[in-house]
Amino acid sequence: MEYSELIRDFLDDAETQLGFFESALLSIEKNGYLEEVIQSTLGPLHTLKGNSGMMGLESLKDYVHHVEEILKKVLEDEVDFGTVIDVLFDTVSVIRQVLHTLGRDPASRPDLTEHVMVIQERLRGTVGVHTRRDVDLTSYLGTKTDTIKVDFRRFDDLLNLVGELVIYKTRLNQIGTQIRGEVGNKSLFKELSGGLEFMGKTIAGLQEGIMRARMLPVLHVFSKFPRMVRDLSRLQEKEIELAFEGEDTELDKTVIDELEEPLLHIIRNAVDHGIEDMQERARKEKDHRGVITLSAGQESNYVIIRVSDDGRGIDAESVREAAVGRGLLKPDEVYDKETVFSLIFSAGLSTKKEATDLSGRGIGVDVVARKIAKLNGQIAVDSVPGKGTTFTIKLPLSLAIISALMVETGGEVYAIPMSAVDESIKVREEDIHMINNHEVIESREQVLPVVRLAEFFNIGGRKHGKCYLIVLSRAGRRLALAVDRLRGQQEIVIKPLDETFGKSYGIAGASILGDGRIVLIADVTAFWNQPTVRSEE
Amino acid sequence: MSEIRLPASGLAEEVLTLCKEKQRDIHLVTFNLGEEYGVPIHQVQEIIRVSGVTMVPNSPSYMEGVINLRGRVLPVLNLRKRLKLPPKDAGKSSRIVVAEVGEKVIGLLVDAVSHVIRVAPESVESAPEEVLEVDTDYITGVGKLKNRLIILLDLERLLKRENIEVGDITAEGGNHGEEN
Repeated sequence: MEYSELIRDFLDDAETQLGFFESALLSIEKNGYLEEVIQSTLGPLHTLKGNSGMMGLESLKDYVHHVEEILKKVLEDEVDFGTVIDVLFDTVSVIRQVLHTLGRDPASRPDLTEHVMVIQERLRGTVGVHTRRDVDLTSYLGTKTDTIKVDFRRFDDLLNLVGELVIYKTRLNQIGTQIRGEVGNKSLFKELSGGLEFMGKTIAGLQEGIMRARMLPVLHVFSKFPRMVRDLSRLQEKEIELAFEGEDTELDKTVIDELEEPLLHIIRNAVDHGIEDMQERARKEKDHRGVITLSAGQESNYVIIRVSDDGRGIDAESVREAAVGRGLLKPDEVYDKETVFSLIFSAGLSTKKEATDLSGRGIGVDVVARKIAKLNGQIAVDSVPGKGTTFTIKLPLSLAIISALMVETGGEVYAIPMSAVDESIKVREEDIHMINNHEVIESREQVLPVVRLAEFFNIGGRKHGKCYLIVLSRAGRRLALAVDRLRGQQEIVIKPLDETFGKSYGIAGASILGDGRIVLIADVTAFWNQPTVRSEE
Repeated sequence: MSEIRLPASGLAEEVLTLCKEKQRDIHLVTFNLGEEYGVPIHQVQEIIRVSGVTMVPNSPSYMEGVINLRGRVLPVLNLRKRLKLPPKDAGKSSRIVVAEVGEKVIGLLVDAVSHVIRVAPESVESAPEEVLEVDTDYITGVGKLKNRLIILLDLERLLKRENIEVGDITAEGGNHGEEN
């Protein structure tokens, strides 16, 4: 982040903290002394002190420290609050002056030594009553800032309105076509469609602007972990550094909120099972301090988040053995590393074999995979034994807009999130075989279970002789979804379905198309729970 | 609100008592499902024609589907199916009553919307016990109006019961709701 941005953030926060302190003082003056109120101001003041230090404003930091000292004395009954309240009010004015100065000139370094001395003198009582010189009126005003706090839901409302605009525009387009056909006035039609085109661009800009306003730097979630890592590593007598990279990468707030839990599990695993204790690291001639790196970066429409540790890593061979033991892999076949590692995310493997065969990597990792899939993202793991492990999470920039494959089956149209789609193939019905009463297809030398979307949704529909199969993959396991027709790829805005009548199994949400029709978005994770698919394991 | 005819006397206190009486009256939107049913008018947001209902797979049979109401995706309840009345295909006069229930907005599919009427509280009686069954507490009473009977529905209770039933469906494994 640029320094100018940092100072802006600092001033915003400082204004809030100072405001809190000031209202606390006012409330005491009005309602009488209350220890809790003073206690409650200590947190914000401490943050202000810390932030000032971080911004290199040593003098301000020192000054706030003195204010804290006064409050502590009050709390310890060394000083009567009544005698210092005026001093405290004056400190608010002094700090506010400093913030003003910084707002005008971010590079300035106000010196508060004199003010510190004034406080000390007044506390000692050498200056009985502060000789109030002219009251500087500006010290009662807040610093002007460029930010406002807005309830997140307001953005949703705005986005809904934009969605409606899109729908109306489509309607106008249709009317335009009618004008050309029925009225036959070409120049009028041209003018109308020109206007509509501009309108379309404006709407797209509006939509993007709102989406942008919903974004937050990923630091919001990253910053929750240093404390956890510190506490956990102390408990286990390990020394671990948590490093950030690309923490200013921005993500939709909805994604940020949902990301916290999966990251928590992964980082916890890295601390518990990834990083070795100091003796072991010493034996391996590694730096005694382990490093966990949280990094974020953007690739086209996705954000890539990585959690890497330089710990003991995962042994692919023991994962393979565990998987064979669970019947997830065939014992005599050769698998690439990627396939083997992806099995870590399957629930059966992780819950049964945790902590022993997989150096404990299993705990909660299936939960992580499920959560990421819910965000329409993907997760992969790579590891080098002895060197460390890296989890890579790929997420769409926004939860609200996804890229989807539109498919038709039984006369209905459904949207399949592209994040799960590997490929689509056109097949004849004869190519689909029956094994043990279950339909399968052979694709790329792999036998995949077939799920017919029409049957899954109970919407009847005949076999046509030909159909399309969409190969979906999740945590390394693939299946083929049979549909009648493909209708192309499209960006769609996800709207949650009302759950008054219960959650409809296999439906993740709905979207409104340009012509006003609703399409339902399939919850692809449900296909893997089909009995026909399960028995393939 | 509605037309208030001034009493012949024109005296202030008489006008006021009249207004008070009017205020006590229950305003209902009534609709036809073989019998005439009514819901309080303050719950009704609007009444729209039936078009573009998207069927939702694996949902209870009384869930007609979802509609797009100015960019909002609203669930539509098939009131006939919900009240276990004989089925009837949606026709020209069918309407969707968009109702606010608590914080939710839902659509109710009905055969036809009849009237907006006013019923004095005195003419509402609780339904005779003999006709009520265990799960019919969503019928709050019967309004008598000249030679008509209007069954009053409590939408909140109607929906609450939904949740219980839906809970049962999901417990079964959720997969196969009922055919639509």
